[in-house]
Amino acid sequence: MSSDMPVIIFDDVWKKYSKSSFFHRSLREDLIKVFSFKENAGLVANEFWALKTNSFKIFKGETVGLYGPNGAGKTTILKLIANVTYPNKGTVSVTKSVAPLIAIGAGFHFDLSGKENIYVNGTILGMKIKEIDQKLDSIIKFSGIEEFINMPIKNYSSGMYLRLAFSIAIHSEADIYLFDEILGVGEDKEFQEKCFQKVLELKEKKKTILWASHDLEMLKKFSDRIFFVNKGEITVEDIL
Amino acid sequence: MTIIFKNLCEYYRKYKDLYYIFIWKEFSIRYKQTSLGVIWAVLQPLSLMGLFTVIFTYIMPVKISNVPQPVFFYAGLLPWTFFSSSMNYSISSLTNNFDLIRKIYFPREILPVSRIVVAFIDFMIASGIFVVLLAVHRIPLNWSTLYFFPLVGLLVLFTVSFSLIFTIMNVYYRDVQLAINFLLQLWFFMTPVFYSTTQIPAKYKMLVSLNPLCFIIDGMRKSVVEGLLPSWKEFSFMLCYAIVLLIISYRVFKAAERKFADVL
Repeated sequence: MSSDMPVIIFDDVWKKYSKSSFFHRSLREDLIKVFSFKENAGLVANEFWALKTNSFKIFKGETVGLYGPNGAGKTTILKLIANVTYPNKGTVSVTKSVAPLIAIGAGFHFDLSGKENIYVNGTILGMKIKEIDQKLDSIIKFSGIEEFINMPIKNYSSGMYLRLAFSIAIHSEADIYLFDEILGVGEDKEFQEKCFQKVLELKEKKKTILWASHDLEMLKKFSDRIFFVNKGEITVEDIL
Repeated sequence: MTIIFKNLCEYYRKYKDLYYIFIWKEFSIRYKQTSLGVIWAVLQPLSLMGLFTVIFTYIMPVKISNVPQPVFFYAGLLPWTFFSSSMNYSISSLTNNFDLIRKIYFPREILPVSRIVVAFIDFMIASGIFVVLLAVHRIPLNWSTLYFFPLVGLLVLFTVSFSLIFTIMNVYYRDVQLAINFLLQLWFFMTPVFYSTTQIPAKYKMLVSLNPLCFIIDGMRKSVVEGLLPSWKEFSFMLCYAIVLLIISYRVFKAAERKFADVL
């Protein structure tokens, strides 16, 4: 384990979600909440804790695997790091730039061509247009769909779609990479192998990697530490 | 003051590419599958202008003002169309992009604002038609015409503020999306597009002047068509009104932003 400064710190992080399909209980209640300033610390009807009493530190260059059943809170952890959602209690601090690869294909529009979508998705992932200009060839080459790059992506197969999306994501530059199950997606063994190579490259470059998966064997193979996530709580296991 | 300026520069540097791409995306998607393309930008104000001219010349002849009817209507329809289409486009910008919002962070106002920019491109195209219309009716341009530009600035400020407010409300209450057409229709009738502010009885004038579009449309007609300069006092007041409204709506938007991912 690296002895650097931690790049991600969770300090007693609690996060709750509501089970009800409607967000608002009533307009009156919401109005009261607006004027009451302080966050309601307890649970009200239909709410549950997706994460509770979690404190941990992740250091530069570490690869951390998140393992747990569906609904255990893996994605919530990644979302908190990606700054997409905020904790109800406690603090999350992230000191380095994040490439939230939970968002592969984010902003893809079906009427736009593959190439156009590279620009849309790339900028959303935090790249500059100039940067994409430079990486364009490499992105297209990695995806392996050169012939179809000017075709609207509504005509893509789901495999092609994933290849393109992942290829863009893997080209984004950051210090922390978040993956959510995507390495296990698809039957495309050849491309999957390519992706693992890329992840290993990131690891060699001392990037911090967090990835969630159902596949414990795979996680054990590539991770320095594994967080077992269950019902919103984490137990940590070091891999030697 | 310098801090605000510095922050704005930083913001611009960081997100200008994202704005650019979103604007380009909205613009090209909108016209990709249409055969008339950007002609749609002028079709709405032009057809309504034609309709009003026919109604108020032949069916229900009324003399509204001394300026030619088509010019009078178009001068009102031009800013109105920008305002209403901005509202229409931007209101669903967050709910349509829920997938994006739930997965990745970027300043959320980019979504509604880039749609307003697309409406503004339409507005600029429609303004070109306005110039042609003025030339056809031999209405001379003079110095007061320049007043059109600060009024456009005011229009943009108000449009962004109202759009932000309605866009947030739509995240929490989808009723807004259903109500917006009806609401814009009401708003249209309360705005002097097909009538003149001089026709409003004095006792309702105060009420009407709460509607910033009233001031903007009236000002555009006076300055461009009639060659009159409105009072700077009134303009300064409206500018303060616009800035305060923008600050409030932006603050509320940023405060609500933190919850979007959980609510959508």
